[in-house]
Amino acid sequence: MSVRSDVLLWAQRVLAKSGAPAHQLLDVRADAPPDVVSDAFQQIARMAHPDLHRSNLDAADLETVTSAYSRVAGAYQEMRSARQTTSKIKTVGTNEPPSIVAQRLSGQVKAQTPSAGVPQGEAPATSSSGGPAHSMNSRALIYYRKAEAALRRGDLRNAVMQMKMAIAGDPGSTFLRTALGEMEKELSKKP
Amino acid sequence: MSVALGIDLGTTNSCAAIATPTGVEFILGPRGERVHPSVVAFPSSGGVVVGADAKRYRLTEPHHVIHSAKRFIGQNIRAPLVQLALTGVRYRVEEGPNQQPIVVVRDRRMTMPEISSNVLLHLKRCAERQLGTPIKDAVVTVPANFTDGQRQATKEAGRLAGLEIMRLINEPTAAALAYGFGRDRQQVICVFDFGGGTFDVSLLRLNGEVFEVLASEGDFFLGGDDLDRALGEVLAAECNRMLRIDPRPNAALMMKLMMGAEAIKCHLSDNDAAEGEIDGLEMPGMPAQRLPFQITRKQFEALISGYVSRTIEVTKQVLASAGLDARSVSEVLCVGGSTRIPLVRQRLAELFQRPPNTAINPDEVVSQGAAIQAGSLVGNLTMGSGMGARDAVATSGHSNLVGAGNLVLPQVQAKRPILMDVNPATLAIHTAGGFTERLLDKNAPIPIERTRVFTTSRDNQTRVEIDCCRGEERRYTENEPLGTLILEELPPKPRGELKIEVMFRVDADGILHVRASDQTSGARQEAHLQVLGAPVHEDPHR
Repeated sequence: MSVRSDVLLWAQRVLAKSGAPAHQLLDVRADAPPDVVSDAFQQIARMAHPDLHRSNLDAADLETVTSAYSRVAGAYQEMRSARQTTSKIKTVGTNEPPSIVAQRLSGQVKAQTPSAGVPQGEAPATSSSGGPAHSMNSRALIYYRKAEAALRRGDLRNAVMQMKMAIAGDPGSTFLRTALGEMEKELSKKP
Repeated sequence: MSVALGIDLGTTNSCAAIATPTGVEFILGPRGERVHPSVVAFPSSGGVVVGADAKRYRLTEPHHVIHSAKRFIGQNIRAPLVQLALTGVRYRVEEGPNQQPIVVVRDRRMTMPEISSNVLLHLKRCAERQLGTPIKDAVVTVPANFTDGQRQATKEAGRLAGLEIMRLINEPTAAALAYGFGRDRQQVICVFDFGGGTFDVSLLRLNGEVFEVLASEGDFFLGGDDLDRALGEVLAAECNRMLRIDPRPNAALMMKLMMGAEAIKCHLSDNDAAEGEIDGLEMPGMPAQRLPFQITRKQFEALISGYVSRTIEVTKQVLASAGLDARSVSEVLCVGGSTRIPLVRQRLAELFQRPPNTAINPDEVVSQGAAIQAGSLVGNLTMGSGMGARDAVATSGHSNLVGAGNLVLPQVQAKRPILMDVNPATLAIHTAGGFTERLLDKNAPIPIERTRVFTTSRDNQTRVEIDCCRGEERRYTENEPLGTLILEELPPKPRGELKIEVMFRVDADGILHVRASDQTSGARQEAHLQVLGAPVHEDPHR
């Protein structure tokens, strides 16, 4: 009985915090390190995972718990992906200035976002997409850096070639493909 | 206490089990078999035949034997991969409403969930006969990368079979559960599930009773069927060359060769060469012919190495998305019949620098996990249901659950396992400029819910369409569309003032629910998403 009311109280508290920042739903500090965040989430799962309460809660209460747990999972995803972007930047971690391609790319996106369309995100589209200098494998990264260097020299043709090599190294990367698209577009503008 | 069935509904074979105090007990078929072919036959003599018996009609009536239905369930028939897979089957499939595939046998038209429900019903009946009690509840496993439509269609199949599907769980997760339940393990494991029609690989962190999926990848058009087909094509070419008969247009002949290919494949898992002949190749107006063959394991491996490399690539990908190194994985579980192929095991051992765990039964472990989860959900789980008791036989133990229960067994109430599974694909909506706004990431824990507030982009806009899609791409058109929600008759307001709240929720079954509501107007209106490819009943008046 007490377990039952505990989890319901917790769920109602979470639902009342609707609109609060992610870390408050997980009951951790905003700058909590990744393992603290994931421990906090596992702790919540051990207590409140809806599967544990399926046989002892009625349908309405179970829905309350499921809904609360789902929101906390959403908050966990938010904190984790923010963390992933930062840690990836760290691992890629050279002290070079931010990549030219990336700058161009994000500038492009921002320029396009306010144009008409339905519906328009309140947050800029770049917010959740993950940083561009991201999880490509080492082979792709080598060619990507070469492409950047070529771009800095202004050798667009060479940059395109290096970029294609990078894509061959990491065919799944959307970022590389988009960047290549941008470069090819620019290349076609020049005589 | 009620009994709930755990069912592994496979492409080629299915398996069912229940958790009992003495271990997991398998549901046996009419001839005592634990593994039930997922084959449904509609013989000319009438009626419906399922399982091992149905397989026998493959030669005499290939057009009336429905196999590999899982490859088409909940799929859009126009998808290129579906069209490709259709070339490998001998029964007739047509397009039905909502672009779903419809099987046509003589004058009967059946949806894929209807076909699969026959298999589920067969398992349910076998279980009821074995346990002597009616069964209503079940946990069914699906490949980890099954889409929304496929999951909904699988649930529909359960409903048609008179089973309440309490939960769909992912096959690799079920295997991990069978491996780790009651063992209090602390480790990271990789589950490599290479079955008859689908391939999945998942990384899990086991932490006592918590099974946390770190990442999952897969390919639902890669399996033993493809290996059979590759070998079958070789046999067909050989048949054409040696016997001067082209078997390809002849369904019965092709089926015979495919069955031969499957047998050769299985033989080569234990032997270095296969030699023999396929007899009884009948062509109209000719005496039966025999096709001699001689295939070494090396030749077979060369034939399938492309498929195997693909599985290894996907495994590397899953390690990358979990941010893990192959060395941090301390156990590799082989699940699915295709992992018996020595080449697969060898390539896995090379990747992980350790031999994979082959002590588990690759055909049965998934249904064991499903049975444990089913027992847990009905609150009926005791220690000893894990893999250690995998060969538990039917004892009077189960009557303890079912009947009056005078028998005293040491029953330690087990800690209920907590499965933290993941969302199989990134889910997003269409925003301005043709881009997408991600709401739920791939590999995020489920059940999960996220809400975002959007606003209108034109003055006095009274209608908003919200296109939902799945996929990683930033451009909307490069992703797979899921469906559109429409909010109409919104109050005219200057742009940016109307707030539209969009909620994405993926439930514990991995099924997406989207709700959009207008927050500003007093009359909140809501719209729900009908996912494309989800089962829709065929209009009988059509």
